[in-house]
Amino acid sequence: MAAPPAPAEAYDAPRAVANKRDKSALLRAIRMALGIESDAIRRNTQTFNRNRYREAAALPDYEALKDEARAIKERAIGHLPDLLMTLETAIRARGGNFYLASTAADACRYILGVCQSHGAKLVVKGKSITSEEIRLNHTLEGAGIEVAESDLAEFILQVADEQPSHNVAPAMHYSTERISALFKRKFSTSEPLDTGEELTKFARGRLRQKFLKADVGFTGANLVAADTGTVMLVESEGNIRMSSLLPPVHISLAGVEKVIPAQSQMGVFLELLPLSFNGKLTSYISFLRPPLDDPPFALTGRPRKKREFHLVLIDNGRMKLRQDPVLQESLYCIRCSACMNCCANFQTVGGHAFGGETYCGGIGGAWEAGTGTLENARFSDLCTGCSRCVNNCPVRIDIPWLNEVLRDRLNRSSAGSPLASLLGIVSFVRGDDRRASAQKVFFANYHWYAKWGARTRAFANGVIRYGPARRLMESLVGVDVRREIPPFPAHPLVRAARNLPPLARAGKRAKVVLFPDVYTNYGLPQRGIATIKVLRALGVDVVVSDAIPEGRAALSQGMIATAKKHARHTADALLPYLDQGRDIIVIEPSALAMFRRDYRHLLADAARFDLLRTRTFDPVEYIARLSAKSGRPARDLFDLARSPVGSRLFVHSHCQQKTLGCAQPTEALLREIGFDVATSSVECCGMAGSFGYKKEYYEMSMAVGEDLFGQVRAAEAPDAGGARALVASGTSCTEQFHAGLGRPVLHPIELLAAILKL
Amino acid sequence: MATRDNTSLVDLFVARATEAAAKVERIGRAASEVRAAVARATEGLSSLVVADGDYLQSDIFSSLRTIPQVIPKPTDDQLATADAGITEAFAGVARSGSICVAMGPPLRSAASLLMPLHVALLPVERIVLRPRELFEQTGIGAEAMQRNIIFVTGPSATADMGPLVRGVHGPHRLHILVLE
Repeated sequence: MAAPPAPAEAYDAPRAVANKRDKSALLRAIRMALGIESDAIRRNTQTFNRNRYREAAALPDYEALKDEARAIKERAIGHLPDLLMTLETAIRARGGNFYLASTAADACRYILGVCQSHGAKLVVKGKSITSEEIRLNHTLEGAGIEVAESDLAEFILQVADEQPSHNVAPAMHYSTERISALFKRKFSTSEPLDTGEELTKFARGRLRQKFLKADVGFTGANLVAADTGTVMLVESEGNIRMSSLLPPVHISLAGVEKVIPAQSQMGVFLELLPLSFNGKLTSYISFLRPPLDDPPFALTGRPRKKREFHLVLIDNGRMKLRQDPVLQESLYCIRCSACMNCCANFQTVGGHAFGGETYCGGIGGAWEAGTGTLENARFSDLCTGCSRCVNNCPVRIDIPWLNEVLRDRLNRSSAGSPLASLLGIVSFVRGDDRRASAQKVFFANYHWYAKWGARTRAFANGVIRYGPARRLMESLVGVDVRREIPPFPAHPLVRAARNLPPLARAGKRAKVVLFPDVYTNYGLPQRGIATIKVLRALGVDVVVSDAIPEGRAALSQGMIATAKKHARHTADALLPYLDQGRDIIVIEPSALAMFRRDYRHLLADAARFDLLRTRTFDPVEYIARLSAKSGRPARDLFDLARSPVGSRLFVHSHCQQKTLGCAQPTEALLREIGFDVATSSVECCGMAGSFGYKKEYYEMSMAVGEDLFGQVRAAEAPDAGGARALVASGTSCTEQFHAGLGRPVLHPIELLAAILKL
Repeated sequence: MATRDNTSLVDLFVARATEAAAKVERIGRAASEVRAAVARATEGLSSLVVADGDYLQSDIFSSLRTIPQVIPKPTDDQLATADAGITEAFAGVARSGSICVAMGPPLRSAASLLMPLHVALLPVERIVLRPRELFEQTGIGAEAMQRNIIFVTGPSATADMGPLVRGVHGPHRLHILVLE
């Protein structure tokens, strides 16, 4: 029987766990988010996510727009000091005021000064996450000025005293029921406060009075054009239009990174920014060159004043971030939230857990580190490197890489431990990388334990099933006892492959080398055997390389020096095969992604990376290409009737496969053969390599997985035709399916091997 | 000069603006016809505000001012409580179903923002295909560069309280009259 849900009071308040310098705050925040926020977060982020995918797919030049946006931002950040000077001239030429604040305190002091010079009693405020960064409300309220947050989400947060959980929809962790309970507790009113309509009407009524009487209107800015001083403001409610139009004084605050060279470049962002959030243009997108010509609003009895405009730009760490060779990329961010909405972990816990005091999500770590301290980025441990954000970022920021680098820096800044040093030394971890936690050192060197596990198979398989040994492992290196560790096989792939009959036919044919990644070699060698069998049947000359770690495990733990070493050794071992005219086949998608994406950062030689990137393939992707090239349709090669699991499949593609574009060819090939294929739409299974094995993340990993399990159940409902065989390419996904559904899982290549016609 | 292309552009605009929860009507631009359409759109309302235009012939606006509910020279107090605002649209964007409002002339900003209903008069020849055309250096983009403009897509909306609610701080209803 499930335990009854704990009352809200049983959890930490979001503010209490906002700063995650101390990892225990992160764990308490996860518990809180899973307990009370998860349902609303999942509903909202997944809606945004679906809408973005739908509209992006309908936009023929989506990729070209992203290239254009990226180029504009690169140029803007590269020339930022010059742009700031140009912008200052443009703003002053129109009679506006320009202030470049070096710190948060400096910005607050200036804004307070402007308010006080007008004797302001009431400031009406549009949503500005940057104002959260500098704690502006605290400063203004401390000086006795009333601040009315007019964005309804910010209004909720102001009433609840919480930090944003998302940078576009900052209160998306609130359900209607929770808002209703909050308002009933905080306001004494006879108005009904139950439905979304009623709550909106109540807030609108209160805020309308504030707009009409405000002395100062405050807004953020989504972009600022240096040549004309044009400010872009994106919103849906109309509160930003009111804040910038009605009061006599308008203050707009933005980080310096929001400046782009020219107004004419804003059209690209007009098309990309709202699309990347929720698919469509929001109700109102203003392009203003304040001060406006319209007279400010003045009800009877109030003075009619002259308009005044202040553009306040803040540095607060950004200019230093600009000099950072890796984190510099974070300044290209246009804060669209795509990286949050397409992140399976974020969809499950939101920004109160996967975030700091101001910034959240995959990009949030770099922002918290850049505007605060490195330790503030500790929450970015929740980035599993699944890479789903990579193709969805409108300015093509390599967010997983930023988080791996942050993790590396955090590892290096920690004290280390004797156990971590010992584990590191025996498994040949590079010097500074040994300062990571024992858990990270353990997972980074899984290949080493797997190799010895396979060599001492009988003993090792006993250990991983022996309770006391597992409890010891949990307490020493944090491997959760609730997770099954897959048993070590009798013959790792490299050994088993030697016993396979070689290909009899000779002649000119495709040649490949199969790279036995550690997960396939020591965990699921039957997938490798199936690959060899199918490829040889199709006339491909297959050899198997030595089993060496390709570096994924080390990279995912932020041990970059070790990952670089692994990448170099792997390239050294495989390049001679390329010289022989062999393409490379990699079965585990997270290992494949190293060759196709991550080696960009790990190999010193870009030419070697390019060779590996363009000649490494997923096995089924490769077969689909062979089939297309030879003009032999898949139905001639494979026979559906031989399927040992019937014709109904549920195919879950691995997160990295989706990013690399190998998910679609796999699904298409299976359909072409005649399978009835249902697919998952989840971004990631929740296991994500080591993530789900870690004791502290087990509950979260299973909560992420529940989404996938639910999709399987829906696809197998009686009215959907009943049971389906589970198919997944990822080792982690396979383990997650075992844990959640307790059922066998086939790799598509195993299925293909079983139905070969030849 | 409704070419085949222009027709499909207008059709796309109407479809997308309707999806964005605007009400769209296509009418002729004779002053009497526009007046009748606005009178229908604002039927039952007791106070209207009309802002001058930049592109449509001025007799349209003088004719609109003869609608009895129009407040001739509204004070700010009257603007705060009026029922509907009638403005010209600077441009229409077919792909997103947006109209653009150019600020500047008296009452235009207020009439497109403060009242529960915004009625926009959009000259059909000012519809473009995609949003970024307003940022190009030629044609309508060159004009837009000189103005403060607002892209308006449907009525104001929020999902902050849970379900999607139309009508927040800005207009609750947007009624676009495409003038052919």
